[in-house]
Amino acid sequence: MSASKKSYVVETLRKAQMIELLSKGKRIDGRQLDETRKLDVRTGVIEKANGSAIVTLGNTQVIAGVKVQPGTPFPDTPDKGVLMVGAEVLPLAAAYVEAGPPDEGAIELARVVDRGVRESEMIDLASLCIKEGKHVYAVFVDVNVLNVDGNLFDATSYAVVSALLTAKMPKYVLEGDAVKNSGEVLPVPVAKIPVSVTIARVGNTLIADPTSEEEAVMDSRITLTTDDESNICAGQKGEPGTFPPEQILQAAEVAIRRGKEIRQAIKAATGHG
Amino acid sequence: MKEKKKLIDENGLRLDGRKWDQLRPIKIEVGTLHNADGSAYIEFGKNKIAAAVYGPKEMHPKHALLPDRAVLKCRYHMAPFSVDERKNPAPSRREIEISKVIREALQPSLILEDYPRTAIQIYVEVLQSDGGSRVAGITAASLALADAGINMRDMVVGCAVGKIEGKIVLDLDDAEDKEGSGDMPFAFMPNLNLVTLLQLDGLFTPDEFRQALELAQQGARRVYEMQREALIKQYFSGGAGETTVVEEGE
Amino acid sequence: MSSVIRKQVIPGEVIVRGDYRIGSFVEKRGEDYVALRVGLAEIVRNDVKVIPLTGPYIPRTDDQVVGKVVDVTGFGWEVDINSCFKGYLPAVFVFGRDFSPATHDLSSKFRVGDLILARIDSYDRSRDPQLSVRGPGLGKIPRGEIVRISPTKVPRLIGRKGYMIKMISNQTDSDLKVGQNGLVVVAGPPEGVLRAANAIKMIEEEAHMADLAQKVQAFLTGG
Repeated sequence: MSASKKSYVVETLRKAQMIELLSKGKRIDGRQLDETRKLDVRTGVIEKANGSAIVTLGNTQVIAGVKVQPGTPFPDTPDKGVLMVGAEVLPLAAAYVEAGPPDEGAIELARVVDRGVRESEMIDLASLCIKEGKHVYAVFVDVNVLNVDGNLFDATSYAVVSALLTAKMPKYVLEGDAVKNSGEVLPVPVAKIPVSVTIARVGNTLIADPTSEEEAVMDSRITLTTDDESNICAGQKGEPGTFPPEQILQAAEVAIRRGKEIRQAIKAATGHG
Repeated sequence: MKEKKKLIDENGLRLDGRKWDQLRPIKIEVGTLHNADGSAYIEFGKNKIAAAVYGPKEMHPKHALLPDRAVLKCRYHMAPFSVDERKNPAPSRREIEISKVIREALQPSLILEDYPRTAIQIYVEVLQSDGGSRVAGITAASLALADAGINMRDMVVGCAVGKIEGKIVLDLDDAEDKEGSGDMPFAFMPNLNLVTLLQLDGLFTPDEFRQALELAQQGARRVYEMQREALIKQYFSGGAGETTVVEEGE
Repeated sequence: MSSVIRKQVIPGEVIVRGDYRIGSFVEKRGEDYVALRVGLAEIVRNDVKVIPLTGPYIPRTDDQVVGKVVDVTGFGWEVDINSCFKGYLPAVFVFGRDFSPATHDLSSKFRVGDLILARIDSYDRSRDPQLSVRGPGLGKIPRGEIVRISPTKVPRLIGRKGYMIKMISNQTDSDLKVGQNGLVVVAGPPEGVLRAANAIKMIEEEAHMADLAQKVQAFLTGG
């Protein structure tokens, strides 16, 4: 996702105009400052995956696929299943993207989304142990970004969560020392629904769910993930700008409030609750 | 994260005997590496971290230079022997992410526009790691930048806050980080009062989050005093007092 | 007679509040005057500035610099001037307007590795500094020992109206060519060169001391 020279140069005119508009509480696309874009979630789109979802947030579109397979536990958590979230911004997603291994932007994206899922304890990893220290379920969630129009963090988070909420995995049983597919199918054990909300700071104004255009002029962003009980379970400030402490608290308030709405939307789309 | 060991005893003391709002022992030195344009060394609990700055220097590759400012580069790296189990020396995904957030935490303090078409490279080498290595690294790297004489709006100083036994406490060490239920690395510019790094994992209620943010600022201000002292010591040791008044024509 | 207030500062620190004229390495924030470097803040009457104690060499037009020729191209010389910007000495500045790469041999003037004393002819943010060797004393430096000092401490080395540098030169019987870029070439008898180099190192380390000139004098006459 390295920005080319073209994408780094922002017209000073546009930035000034956007800051002025924002200071009046208006956004170019007519949204309220703390309003998120239209969210569309479609699940079960890839038959060969254990779970999948296409999430469209404004013009940003990402697809997540879940693969569950038998694996070995990490040495420091021998009694827990393995969860891995990966993300890649595909070269077809925007003119500036080039093929290659994930760069620091894609790695940050995957790790922040992973943190939200992990720290909220969305997946009950303890129930994904088959034989302590030997065999566990390994849950891989990979996200491919299909179209970039800002706020990849939230779109990716919603896709991962929706794919996991609808994922079905084979039941593995022990046969002697080996693991075998029993033929039974189980849902992935989900306990909570983490929702991330990203807020950008442009000038001195905070806006939720920034578009690419808004990201081009933002100073900094903060992603805060909340769980069903409004606990904050993951956070990440990004970009080379700053936040006054009081704006971080404001961002947390927005993340909790908007997070509730989005959680309802994800529940409805995935048939949970 | 399950809490197994008791991390706070009946007297309110933590495993290493600290109170909830106490920092680990800190030692800071500036100008420790001869070849670097700027350098600093920090011990923060068991963390031992060397930071160095090279630049402003010629930017390579040329096509990536910026016409109106310097490009800031940062590498955070852990030595293979810095942790209990040997770490593969190749950069991990964790190190790549931390390199990025450290760079973004330091960049707001620098006036990069004063050095167009150049590069400034920051190295943060963790020789021994304990909890909070990235924020200790930021404190050292900011000193290395000041030592290199890059124009800066403010220093950047880091400090983490965490949650153990359901309590918000300052500056988690390794054991507390592993066993506790939340960690929030934090960095800010103390004079401008602007947050430049904030990460969080674990479970914080909105109220705990507010407390954590408050405590992080208090802790960072204390680290800032030591950061300042180290810089003054390097540049003014044996000099007159901090402020002197002399008659003109001296 | 007004007094000078000197204050040890680090980046981000408020030097003073009120209404002052901004000097080097100072930024105004509301009523506050803030230091951008580690150094000595100096308040004289209405002026506030920071004298930095460390930092890179940033070229300024008309600075005298010591440089090393690192490349000879068809139309000039590339010169390392101890900066993030490479100096360029155009051949026309040396051979005159009738310079032609076909008839003039650039290597006959300066070769790779040669040291030159040059003047920054022009420099701005968008272009590397252009050098000139026209002027008294400028050109190839035939002999001497290179001593490095932080570019921020060169003004101390030169001293008020050249007092310090003249003193070192007289006391050590050496000739000192001082570049604003922190490179100094000392030529003279071996013993004198060594003492001059040590005096320069002393200035490097104690540039923030008020009684520097006396200390250097004591060192030069005593040693």
